[in-house]
Amino acid sequence: MLVLFQLLVVLFALFAILSVLSKKKEGLLGFKGTIFWILFWVGIGVVAVWPNTIQNLADRFGIGRGVDLAFYISIALLFFLIFKMNVKIEGLKRDLSRLTREDSLRDLDK
Amino acid sequence: MFLAIVPAYNEEKRISSVIQSLFQCVDEIVVVDDCSTDKTAEVAKKAGARVLRHKINLGQGAALETGHVYARERGAEFILHFDGDGQLSVEDISPAFEQLKTSGADIILGSRFLDTRSQVPWFKRTVLLPVGVLINKFFTGLKLTDAHNGFRILNARALDKIRITQDRMAHATEIISLIKKYNLKHVEFPVKVVYHEYGQRSMAGFRILKDLVFGKFMK
Repeated sequence: MLVLFQLLVVLFALFAILSVLSKKKEGLLGFKGTIFWILFWVGIGVVAVWPNTIQNLADRFGIGRGVDLAFYISIALLFFLIFKMNVKIEGLKRDLSRLTREDSLRDLDK
Repeated sequence: MFLAIVPAYNEEKRISSVIQSLFQCVDEIVVVDDCSTDKTAEVAKKAGARVLRHKINLGQGAALETGHVYARERGAEFILHFDGDGQLSVEDISPAFEQLKTSGADIILGSRFLDTRSQVPWFKRTVLLPVGVLINKFFTGLKLTDAHNGFRILNARALDKIRITQDRMAHATEIISLIKKYNLKHVEFPVKVVYHEYGQRSMAGFRILKDLVFGKFMK
């Protein structure tokens, strides 16, 4: 059962890496973003195949269980991504306001 | 030149009378129609105002800044912020304008609480606005008697410095914080507000707060 689960996670991670590479090819992801996501999915695959790695890492950080370390990292990562997305959305909103404003001034009294 | 900026959203019933009465006090009126779904823009144009139309509904702050950009391009010496819903009184404009000139202030801020002419609903007067005043104090460092009053007169210096980035209602607090930042001389002036409806709903306050908090993280 565990082997099947490991296989599925590895396949999913491979699929995710291919998707990252395709987004990079389309120009939707920058160099740093591509490296980050590839490392992230490689990490997921490694932990799935060798579950002890996360436990060893947790021991080094003085955290009791490997799953707790994974949990802390996930939460930190999610908050970071939400922050990045919010900043991005705010930037897009400002661009939209600027374009709408310029458009209204161009079309004055039309 | 004294130019009035009137942000408007679905005000086809009141905008015409607002414009006609404003022409007694200012040289030019620009209505910023924030993507109304009614005939606000057509009515405003017929009444003699210049009309700028947002193709997307952005909010009152964005509409005011669009008016600011227009006013800077026109080289306006003084500008008036005046709501398009007919809740403010034109009788306050001339004395406020005089006060701006005689006091040497950069900006006049209307206040409903410096006299007793405004019939402010009880909950708003005793709960929402005092909280708004405190929030403004917290975010801006300036304590005023009113929060979120749509009546303002700016001179060219204030117009140059006040560049609104808060698209929605948090612009009122942003303006005060820019006054503080650029050390603009400001004076509060009593104005009368007549309530047709309740105005902003209580929940709008939370949205303003959210915009202000998040705005702190942006440039």
